[in-house]
Amino acid sequence: MINYIIRRFLILPFILFGVTILVFSMIMMLGPYQRLSTYINDPAQLKGQDMDKLISKYGLDDPWYEQYSRWIGGVVHGDFGWSESAGQPVTEAIFSRFPATLELALFAVIPVVMGGIWLGVLSAVHHNQKFDHIIRIISTIGWSFPTFVFGLLVLMIFYGVLGWFPPGRLSADAAAIIRSAEFVRYTGLNVLDGILNLEINVVFDAFRHLIGPIVTLAIVWWSYILRITRSSMLETLRKDYIRTARAKGVAEKFVINKHARRNALIPVVTVAGPMVLGLLGGVVIVESVFGYRGIGQYAAQAAQQLDYSGILGVAMYFSFLLILINLIVDVSYAVIDPRIRLE
Amino acid sequence: MSKEALVEVKNLKTYFYTEEGVVKAVDGVDYEIYPGETLGIVGESGCGKSVTSLSIMRLVESPPGRIEAGEINFKGTDLTKLSEKEMRKIRGNDISMIFQEPMTSLNPVYTVGDQIIEAITLHKGVKRKEARRQAIEMLQKVGIPLPEQRVDEYPHQLSGGMRQRVMIAMALSCDPQLLIADEPTTALDVTIQAQILELMNSLKESYGMAIMMITHDLGVIAEVSDRVAVMYAGKVVEYTDVDTLFDDPKHPYTWGLMNSIPKLDKDVDRLEAIPGSVPSPLNFPEGCKFNTRCPLAKGKCYDVEPPLEDTDGGHMVRCWRYEHLEEIKKRGERIYEDRGVQK
Repeated sequence: MINYIIRRFLILPFILFGVTILVFSMIMMLGPYQRLSTYINDPAQLKGQDMDKLISKYGLDDPWYEQYSRWIGGVVHGDFGWSESAGQPVTEAIFSRFPATLELALFAVIPVVMGGIWLGVLSAVHHNQKFDHIIRIISTIGWSFPTFVFGLLVLMIFYGVLGWFPPGRLSADAAAIIRSAEFVRYTGLNVLDGILNLEINVVFDAFRHLIGPIVTLAIVWWSYILRITRSSMLETLRKDYIRTARAKGVAEKFVINKHARRNALIPVVTVAGPMVLGLLGGVVIVESVFGYRGIGQYAAQAAQQLDYSGILGVAMYFSFLLILINLIVDVSYAVIDPRIRLE
Repeated sequence: MSKEALVEVKNLKTYFYTEEGVVKAVDGVDYEIYPGETLGIVGESGCGKSVTSLSIMRLVESPPGRIEAGEINFKGTDLTKLSEKEMRKIRGNDISMIFQEPMTSLNPVYTVGDQIIEAITLHKGVKRKEARRQAIEMLQKVGIPLPEQRVDEYPHQLSGGMRQRVMIAMALSCDPQLLIADEPTTALDVTIQAQILELMNSLKESYGMAIMMITHDLGVIAEVSDRVAVMYAGKVVEYTDVDTLFDDPKHPYTWGLMNSIPKLDKDVDRLEAIPGSVPSPLNFPEGCKFNTRCPLAKGKCYDVEPPLEDTDGGHMVRCWRYEHLEEIKKRGERIYEDRGVQK
């Protein structure tokens, strides 16, 4: 198992290299003039300037491999370039936004996975009963809503009409507390830092801002996990070894929670990889909809403004994350199912 | 048989309520199992032999299945009247069961040791360490080499025959008085079949338990049974001791089953086969249920269902015309091919 993990880390640079080639070549499809135009805010700035001179000055018309090697040379030294859309270097932009996205992901993923599995099992156990029907209707609706539509609905109802859950990451008052000298930023996660600094107002305010994005992200993926757990559990409950367990005199509670659930989770773990991929896409949309200053919002911004250092940086970051998550999925696969051996 | 019966099944009816109608899988079955004997139950697929055994264990899926009428007296207690909790104390403890498919009857994510230990701790109330010692002892008794090592292996690491031995070890770990074996050898190689039957016979003697052997294989019946119940379409059609059954089968169905086995000492061009197949339980014929396939059926057979009658000294047969079969047998004719089914 350790060997397997080490091997997976050793191939990591090769995969990231492939990602950069892919993203870079897409950016290179834009002409040098278009790429130049991303560096200016006002056409007036170009008045009296020789555009061709600027292009050759910044090397925008060099062959793609020369431009690529300039960029990758910087990356090797930890320099991902200047992000025009963020107004700061790419690495700084990513690192400053990382805690916000991590906070959102933690609060969304844990209820999604736990709740989805729990309700999926319950739904299967009460197969074709009232509870099962209600859960299925809700999850079908949840799964059918596109994230951006659902997000806008949540924003409209809970902020526009009720005024409960505002967009953004913090209100002005809470932000002032966080910036004050006494407040120590232990983790960058607002809720956690609020607890550690015993600032109940910060905790409350941060949480209020998180609810909208969390609900939007969670409802879709919760439905997904729930449906897979339910059908996998239904199949497992018909297996011969479940009958064996019952014939041994095992109580139904243990038949379900011990004998059936662990087997039913194997397909759920299999889909967890693609789910995380979808969740990352969801983060981009949700953060944009709720004006939540995280990496997802940065990715959308960079793409809109053709900020190609930003795009490349975020692509690298997301790829790294995905590989890491898939590795975790593979390892937990082997932990749950003894028939799987990681070689 | 003046001894007190261990199990006494009286007029058992187990029906399944499906969308197409009521399936009378077991429709009025009577038999007894005496301490220390082996009762063989033989019949084609769909004749209700498995459902009878699942009814004794009260493991019929409900819904759609339900024990509609009858009694199952086990040592004087009617099992059909027990609560689920009381029944759990009997399952795996007083009555245990082994199944047809050793490949799928063990839980793939737990070690075989865990699964045996579970049964022992559940019923004997011993500590895990002691249960583990007993599990190893059981594995040794069922002839598994290196039991100390095998106890920590997963089912996928064992062969089919080994897994069936594990199932037997698990079933016998709490010293049951009755072992229900539902086609325990069907999925195994012939040589392994013989080994498993031999093992069951020797364990039966050392444990002094009774066995209910369910099979469609008359060879298995001849090997292990003391008495036999032949089932057809949810009913017992012939019920007697094993020697009488093989020497003098009285029901045309039993006769057909025996003649469809190839024999080494007889030179026949073609085997005699019973034409047609078991009628759908949704649509049983009027009168005797065997009348669609019986070459002797005539008049009354199509109108009135025959009772299970004692023909001589405990040889029970459910047929109006069994005496007619006697005459044909005396003349040495083959009933199925020489006659065909009249309608």
